Amino acid sequence: MNLTCENARGLVPGYLDGELSSERSRPLREHLLDCRSCRDVAKEEKVIKRWFDQARASAASAEPVPAGFAARVARRAFAGDRGSAVPVASVDSAGEGAEARGTLLPFVLKSVLVAAGLLLALAVGIQQRELPQDDLRALPAAPWERPGAVPRESRPQGPEGAASADPAAAALAPDTRGEDEDQASEPRTDDAPR
Amino acid sequence: MHPAAREDASLIEETLGGNPLAFQLLVERYQERIFALIRHYTRNAVEVEDIAQDTFLKAYRKLEGFQRQSSFSTWLYRVAVNTALDFLKKAGRSPVQTVEDPEVLASPSSAERGPRIAAPDARMEREEVARITHAVLAELPEIFRTVLVLREFEDQSYQEMADLLGISIGTVESRLFRARARFKETLTRLYPEFAA
Repeated sequence: MNLTCENARGLVPGYLDGELSSERSRPLREHLLDCRSCRDVAKEEKVIKRWFDQARASAASAEPVPAGFAARVARRAFAGDRGSAVPVASVDSAGEGAEARGTLLPFVLKSVLVAAGLLLALAVGIQQRELPQDDLRALPAAPWERPGAVPRESRPQGPEGAASADPAAAALAPDTRGEDEDQASEPRTDDAPR
Repeated sequence: MHPAAREDASLIEETLGGNPLAFQLLVERYQERIFALIRHYTRNAVEVEDIAQDTFLKAYRKLEGFQRQSSFSTWLYRVAVNTALDFLKKAGRSPVQTVEDPEVLASPSSAERGPRIAAPDARMEREEVARITHAVLAELPEIFRTVLVLREFEDQSYQEMADLLGISIGTVESRLFRARARFKETLTRLYPEFAA
């Protein structure tokens, strides 16, 4: 059987891997004897295989499987664990022990949650501290806070009194009030979807 | 039936019967090979263990569906390869997002094969050769990487690879040919000093 170069080259990997039957390798050998170009291809395939041979020799000395792995997996399998290999953000931590994963991830998640809680508490605290009583009094009262019966001029006078007399402050007042009303209505205690 | 296959079959039966120790033994039989296989997809020890663990957990869940048409090891390898590739995709580290279909492409001609490649320098450390080889493999589309890993590192026969990948032996041959051509091209591109 005469092989075309294209067919012959397709057989080269199998030939070098010892995977070709004698019926298929014989015509290839004959073709390679006659075709210098395909012979060069085969030579190069052998060179490529040498890269893998050396890399394979190195892979043989890879680190062992972590102790107790099989027992752990069997326990998890029978506990109904479905597993979910989540890609870790740091791919450069190859030198870290595999045992670290089991404790590190939950610790990090918990730490993030605690930090978020603390930040929230801190933010609320700072917000309250940054609104002294005088300033609170200076703010226009929300409609539900207005006693109605209390005349505005009878409220304690202070810097806010001057501010209210300031035309610029008066011009800003509606906006400020609008914002405050928005802020007052922002926290939701109901379960309505947002 | 081969003694190893008989042992596998017995352990599978016991596992399905609810014996955790049988599954543990099954894991112990294959854990070294599965770890070695996965190390060709990631060098990160933590990720290797995660993927190996997921492989065995998936295998346990699907054990009832294992048809025994191929060997358990072939089936398990397929689960491991798929798990590793899924992981890399999730991590956005797969070079395989390319949608090429090499099966429809003709074999590369001599001209397309580009510059020749030099054999690894005899003075190079094995680890250095391995590092370069893996760096090149990581650049290849997954179908090429997988056939090279299975053949060159896992010593799978063409028949085993065909069973594992669900393709014909002819496709294994042509894919390997193209994979090696691509390996050579990538090696000489990334490391021009190895162009002969």
